[in-house]
Amino acid sequence: MKVLMCTDGEEYAEAAIQFGGRLAKEMNADVGVVHVRPPIAPSTRVQLMTARKKLGEWDLDLPGVDYLARANKILTKVGLTKVRASKGRRSHTFRKGVDGATELQLEGIHGENVRFRLREGNVVDEILEEANRGNYDLIIVSSRGHKGLSRYFVGSTALRVADLAACSVLIAKNIREDDNFLLCTDGSPLAEKAEIKGAEMARALGAKVTILSVAEEETGRKGAVRMARRAEMILGQMGIEATQKVRVGRPSEEIIDEALDHDIVVMGASGSSTVKKFFLGSVPLKVIEYGECPVLIFREKRGKISLDINTA
Amino acid sequence: MSFASWLKKRKWIVIGLLVGAILLSIPVPAGLTPIGMKALALVIVAFIFFITEPIPLPGVALFIAVSEALLGLAKPTAVAQSFMSDSVFFIMGSLMIATALVKQNLDKRIALAIVRVTGPCVDRIMLGLVSVSALLASFIGEHTVSAMMLPVGVSLIRFTSTDQRKVKNLSIVILLSIAYGAMIAGIGTPSGGARNAIMLAYWRELFDIEMGYFSWMKIAYPIILLEIPFITYFLYRSFTPEVKDLSPAIESMRLQVQEEGRMTQQSWTTIGIFLVTVLMWMTISDKIGLGITALIGVLLFLVAGVVRWEDLNNNVSWGTILIYGGAISLGIMMKRTGVAEWLSLSLLEWLEPTGIKSGIPLLAAMSVITIVFASIMTSGPTVGLLGPITLNVASLSGTSLMAAGFVTVISSSFVYLTAVASPACNIMYGSGYLKRSDFVKAGWKLTLISFLLLLLICGGYWSLLGL
Repeated sequence: MKVLMCTDGEEYAEAAIQFGGRLAKEMNADVGVVHVRPPIAPSTRVQLMTARKKLGEWDLDLPGVDYLARANKILTKVGLTKVRASKGRRSHTFRKGVDGATELQLEGIHGENVRFRLREGNVVDEILEEANRGNYDLIIVSSRGHKGLSRYFVGSTALRVADLAACSVLIAKNIREDDNFLLCTDGSPLAEKAEIKGAEMARALGAKVTILSVAEEETGRKGAVRMARRAEMILGQMGIEATQKVRVGRPSEEIIDEALDHDIVVMGASGSSTVKKFFLGSVPLKVIEYGECPVLIFREKRGKISLDINTA
Repeated sequence: MSFASWLKKRKWIVIGLLVGAILLSIPVPAGLTPIGMKALALVIVAFIFFITEPIPLPGVALFIAVSEALLGLAKPTAVAQSFMSDSVFFIMGSLMIATALVKQNLDKRIALAIVRVTGPCVDRIMLGLVSVSALLASFIGEHTVSAMMLPVGVSLIRFTSTDQRKVKNLSIVILLSIAYGAMIAGIGTPSGGARNAIMLAYWRELFDIEMGYFSWMKIAYPIILLEIPFITYFLYRSFTPEVKDLSPAIESMRLQVQEEGRMTQQSWTTIGIFLVTVLMWMTISDKIGLGITALIGVLLFLVAGVVRWEDLNNNVSWGTILIYGGAISLGIMMKRTGVAEWLSLSLLEWLEPTGIKSGIPLLAAMSVITIVFASIMTSGPTVGLLGPITLNVASLSGTSLMAAGFVTVISSSFVYLTAVASPACNIMYGSGYLKRSDFVKAGWKLTLISFLLLLLICGGYWSLLGL
């Protein structure tokens, strides 16, 4: 497995990296940490380059490098990487122009590949490009929790990455170390695969697993119970213990209600509908947007998609 | 790439050209000649391109040249001539001189000199940064100064705390002190900003007014001196820094500068040649032209061997020179085809119901319009496009041409609100220490203060000078 984490130097991003680092360590996964710098306007390129050269002369790191350095510290703390013995300056160990980014490559304690990458451009485009190039299986993006007005402004990066990525995405909102997993099932094959993936992660992290099945109306309760049982059975075969829960109501609301802020919600990207193959279904979208919980959107890896859908 | 996505990326090219085609096909409004209509169409299309930037800005300048020739507004040779003038030489020479100065690595010494005078208090350091950035920028331009001073600011911040989150406000006040200091001063002397050269070109080409280097300074410099304390005060009040005493940072900085050793012969030579050039600008440039004087300076640098051609080649923003050439060319054409006059008449007519006819109220209106335009495009094209109009408005309404020109140029630097409009802000934003909202938070107050100060100077000091 390969995990890509994104940082913008904020605290909530670093909480996500801490979680991702632990996950990667337990699952022996390769890790990439990417920071995307805002693009340089062509009209000020010359001056910006002068400014950067000057920063170098003053022995100062380029902007963004210290975010990655901090991410490295966090990964060391969770036990994924070792502190390097050499005391050489950090920015000198970064190599330029590897796959379109400035890169620092390290090896984890158990042989994991750990890369720190610095890119430049539109945040969403660059994260997706990085995920495509590195063939990652999971992108962890952080999102500021809902606080006051900010809920109406922030999180669009996370939302758009979740929407357009070719692989699974964990939107790490309010993420904590001791989070449990809430696997949501709707009986679709995709949801089943999502359950398995989620359960594997939960096992690696030693977290509890709950299966949630939501019926839209009281008449559907039976079917929901059946789906939850089936999921429990599949997990049982993997040797993972899970409790099951059935709720009645609108799926997105019930999921948010059940998860509150202490469960990682795991769900398939597009619900049962195969029509919306390329875009997020309405339920995951709502949970991401209105929930206080981290959400793992599971996707079967699809082929490379054109990034042109994005507005530049 | 599919056609649809190409269209989406380049939609403003299509829209701009469509608008142009429509303007060319509708009947000519009263008061405008057919050739004037063509020129007006080009001005509007160029305006759209300058704002939306569907192609790089130097490309827009090329578009202006090509269109002027193809629409038959001028002969190809005349188009080329309108692109290059003494003013463009002046812009080019100033950029080269700035490059030569930056290469000397004087920034560390300047930083140390500032903190030596100011001591460790944040407010005094801020005042020092604003003043020094302003002083330097008034001679060598805001771009260069902000690029040169950025490391000074960043190292003050980093030496205070390596955790950026603990010194958020400190980062803001220090970096914005540099940026705003540089921005207010770009108008101090003609060499402070390329847009000043545009105004000089318009005065000369359109109205036969000659303005010397020194007389420009006499008129514009007091505004800078007045703004320095205001900027410092309002920045400090808007963002109260977390740390008030920067002694540890200053100590680390002193150690770093000590490693540098003594100033080299080369640095002294560079400073000497620069001072000689400024002296020539102030004294003999009235006779030989600011541009030629600047080129003499550059030649001296090359003869003395303090700068290599490669440095100039790599560090001078040649696109900027093209942009300003294009803007000046467009302005000259606006005047020659009567578009400037027609637009000015329309503007005066439009302002009539508000009772604004001439004098200070008219200048205030010009200032507001310029600030709005400069905030959505960069300052160069703003002065380039608005200059001929404001000058014409002034001449039609009997307001001082000089005052109108100065108001246009000075107002175009009041773009504290956005990080996009000014290169100085852009460089600070690129350092990663600031958010876009930080610019807005301090910016609106400074815009307002600067506007009022300008009116004050305009009504008081300038009338004393008899402008």
